[in-house]
Formats: sequence, C-alpha cells, structure tokens
Amino acid sequence: MTALPRTVPISPDVVDLRCSFASLPLRHPVLAASGCFAYGQQFADFLDLRALAGLSTKGISPRPRPGNPLPRICETASGMLNSIGLENVGAAAFLRDKLPMLRAQGISVWVNFFGEDFAGYVECARLLDAGAGAGIDVLEMNISCPNIKKGGIEFGTVPEVAHRLTRACVEATRIPIVVKLTPNVADIVEMARAVKEAGAAGVSLINTLTGMAIDVRTRMPRIATTYGGLSGPAIKPVALRMVHQVARAVPDLPICGMGGIVSGEDALEFLMAGAACVQVGTANFARPRAALEVLAELRALMAELGIATVGEATGCLRAIPPEAPWEPPGN
Amino acid sequence: MAPTQFIARVTANRRLTGGYFILELSGQPTDGGGSVAAAEPGQFVMLRGEWGRELLNPRAFSVLHVDPDGCFSVMLKAYGRGTTRMKALRPDDSMTVTGPLGRPFPGPRPGVAQILVAGGVGLPPLHFQARRAHALGVATQLELYYGGRDRDDLVLLDDFAGWDVRHVLATEDGSAGTKGFVTVPLAGRVADARARGEAIELLACGPTPMLAAVRKLALEHDVDAWLCLEEQMACGFGVCLGCAVPVHGPQPYRYCCTDGPVFTAKEVRWP
Repeated sequence: MTALPRTVPISPDVVDLRCSFASLPLRHPVLAASGCFAYGQQFADFLDLRALAGLSTKGISPRPRPGNPLPRICETASGMLNSIGLENVGAAAFLRDKLPMLRAQGISVWVNFFGEDFAGYVECARLLDAGAGAGIDVLEMNISCPNIKKGGIEFGTVPEVAHRLTRACVEATRIPIVVKLTPNVADIVEMARAVKEAGAAGVSLINTLTGMAIDVRTRMPRIATTYGGLSGPAIKPVALRMVHQVARAVPDLPICGMGGIVSGEDALEFLMAGAACVQVGTANFARPRAALEVLAELRALMAELGIATVGEATGCLRAIPPEAPWEPPGN
Repeated sequence: MAPTQFIARVTANRRLTGGYFILELSGQPTDGGGSVAAAEPGQFVMLRGEWGRELLNPRAFSVLHVDPDGCFSVMLKAYGRGTTRMKALRPDDSMTVTGPLGRPFPGPRPGVAQILVAGGVGLPPLHFQARRAHALGVATQLELYYGGRDRDDLVLLDDFAGWDVRHVLATEDGSAGTKGFVTVPLAGRVADARARGEAIELLACGPTPMLAAVRKLALEHDVDAWLCLEEQMACGFGVCLGCAVPVHGPQPYRYCCTDGPVFTAKEVRWP
C-alpha cells in the first residue's frame, strides 16, 4: 500500500532535457551504445545524427581485428547473444575514415576502445589522443568484453587489475576515461570504486552478460565461440540493479546506464536508479531510430509525471515504506 | 538506393503447398526514402511484426515480387518463432519493413544461358529473376533447376511455365521430377554445356549443402556462379556484424547484408 507521489503534469515543451555527464554538457540524456551503432554512418540513412546526444563507437583497438567465426549471433527470449569478436577497423583507420564525420555532427563523441593486452590499452588511448585530441569527448574503456581471449577477462573482474589499467590509460590521455564495466562479477561496487580511485571520470553500466544457447537439432551451440554476450530487454533488471548499487555506494561517480533500453520508460527507470545519462544499444538493430524514439517517449513521460529536468529524475527513487509490524496473536 | 524503415500493411497471406505462404504487403516510406518497389532480384527486406519485447529482431526475407505502386511480397515457411507468428498474419495487420537491402543478382547477358538453381525456401529471388527476365523479353535465356523434399515442396511452377522458362525438377522422394538432389541433373547440364562450349552461368539460392554443391560444380567446370546466401542478422544494414561470410581476399569476412547476400562462388571461403 503505497501512495503515488503528488505529480502535476507539465507540458512536454517545458521539460528540460539538457544534462551533463562528468562535467560534459549533453543536449539530452540519450546516446547510442557501442557495438550497436557501428561508426554512425549507416544510421544517417534513417535519422539525423545531430538529434542524438551522442554515440559510443564500435570498440577500437590499436590495430584492425577481423572478428570471430560464424555463427556470431542468435536471438534468445527478449534478447540476443553475440560473439562478434571486437571486429573493428583499428585506431588509424578510425581516426582517418570515421571520426571526421562524427565530429562534424556536433554531438558528444565517445570512442569505445580496448587493447589485446595491458600495453595495447595504453597504446590505444595514446593513439586516439594523439590523433584526435579535442575531437573525442570521452574514451569509453571497454574492460568488459566477453569475446576476447588472452586473459582479457581479468581487466574487468579483478579490482586491482582494473585499477592499474585504468590509471595507466588515464595517464596516457587528456580525454576523460569512462570505464565500461562487465556485469559478470560478484561485486560491481568494488569494481566501480577501483576505477574511480584510478581516475575514471565515470562508468558505463552494463556490458553484456555471458550466456549460451543450444540448437538441440544439430546438438551444437548456437554461436561459434559457445558463449556470447547477452543483451536486450532480458538483461535490463540486472543492469538497473547494478546502476542502483553503484549510485548508492559511490555517490560521486557519474553513471551512464544501459542494458535493454527500448522505451522512454526504460530510460527513466535508469535515471531514477541513479544514471546521469543512458545509452540505447540492441534496440538500434531492429529500429535504427530507436534512440530518438526513446528520447521522445522520455520527454512525454517526464511531462506526464511532472519531472521537469533530468537532474530531478536522476536518483529520485523512493523507498518502499515499511510495513506495520506483525505480532503473533495471543501476546 | 538507401534503405528506409516504414510500416506496411498486410494485404494478403496466401497458403501454398508444402507449408509455404506468400505474404503480400503494401506501404511506402513517408520520409521520401527509397521504396521497396525499386528492389531487384536477390535484394531483401527485414520484417518485424508487432512482437513486443519477446522477439527482438526483424527477420530477413528475399523479395519475391514488387509492384510499382509499392506492394511487394515475400515467400516463407514457418520454422521458428518469428515465421510462425508471420504465418498467422491477416490482412490489415502491420509490419515494420526495412529495405530494400543488399546487392542483387546480375541481370541476364546476351548469349549466356542463366541457369537458376533453387532449393526449397530459396525460390523467391530466382522467381523474381525469372519474372524480371520475362518482362524484359529474355526469359528463354533462363532455365530453372528446382529441388525439394517432395512434390508439395515445389511451388509456383505455373509461373515459370507461363514465362516460358524451362524447368528441371528433382525431389528427394521422387514424387516429382528425378529422384534425389537437383544438383545431380544440374551437374549433367553443366558438363554438357562445357563440352559443347555453350556459355552458361549459375544463379543459386537454397539450403547451404545445395549451395556448396553448386559452388563445387562451378569451380570444377570454371563456370561463373552467384550464390544468394542466408545468415543470422540482427539489423540488415551493416551494423551488428552478425552476418559475416567467410571469403577469400584481403579480409577474411564480408557481410551478407551489405556486401551480399549474393556472392560469387569464387569468393566464398567454404571448406
């Protein structure tokens, strides 16, 4: 039995969606997520990229990577598994062929990056810094991709290792580093604290959950690497829980929330859990305009609920009031 | 032509034999983008019904037919969660369409016989190719080699007859045409053409084992062949990178959605 908060609907026109993430101004809180937006150009056929708050590119490594064998994806209940293998054009080709178009859009450009080993991460941060400087707003450090072998899993799951890696990358660049954490850990708060202490400007929460699917007719896994990363609405409750835990335990750490957002209501849930902004990922595959649809729905929903600003939404979660105490009868 | 995404309305859902059905859709992009009416044989559309959050991604279907007025159709069979729902679609239901996508088959060339090789649900792009050739008055240059499990598995044969496209049939149970795989009579046809110095090329779409056999035949006899492939894809426009196709060349993979779905037998890197 909980009363609704007193809300006075307002006009969608007066909802102020401007916000900031780690002191970077954003026109609104909806970005497109890494791995689900390539380098942006394919989406220009479907929408005006300038209407996005920003986007996070496909993960960039120092050198190009060809990606994993087939099959690489399969759909699951309310989600999908992928094991693309961090295929990308490499830092040099990205800087030369992809970044200029993104810069020209005047949106927040987040470049997701990784290395195949410790030195590779630092090298990639240096290369991107040297080649782009002010043209990149955020380096989103991917320490969480499940689809890379070579011991990469430690970067995202052992706090001391994540701390060392983050510190080394922070020192290698002037661009703010936002660390994208993996949910495949026992304690997300510990990981968030470790990267914050190492100088991360914020965290992106969450990457995919590792999962598996089997084709019983062929008796084979449905993706070639056996395990892949689960994304889509199926993982949203896990993502929300982690955003909430980190927001509560590490209050000064800006959080970019993501994981199964397909609607404005999903986005508002993430803001209420404590995210400063959100990314829309898997939904872009089915609906290339998904991020803008999420934004329009978010504006309408905030108006309906009388929430005038993003700041007002972030962390406005109310606690469920305690029940009246129960006493065994006859006392 | 740049793809667009728009809502289309189902105008008909026609049952064929063998569990196949043809879904006819009508709709135009409202943003002035490319229409599916401009699609060519081999190109495809991504279709998604009002599936909520349970079925996330659209499914890819080769275009069967287009009308200049924006109506188009696909042919499919219910074999998974998405196609099972599509089988139940009725007129006026709506679907989200993204397309036209991919690169088409080459058109017929003067003096070269085009042999269409179809297996099961791989018929649509070849049916479209034959219809197009008929409209251009060159259908007699085409032949169809069409295989299926049984007689009911072979559909739309009257269309090919009406277009004067000669056809050779094969079924696994022998209920229509020769008994066995269609690649057996095809092998005879290819060997014979090579022996006589006849110029031929192969256009194929169907199950992967059939495509592998067509590829092998083409490579052995040094005949040009184009294979229309099918891979799992989430987006259809080059973003998810799920539909990689192993190829020979400077890169190990190309993409079924943007580089294909039509690939040459020579470039595909299969065992």
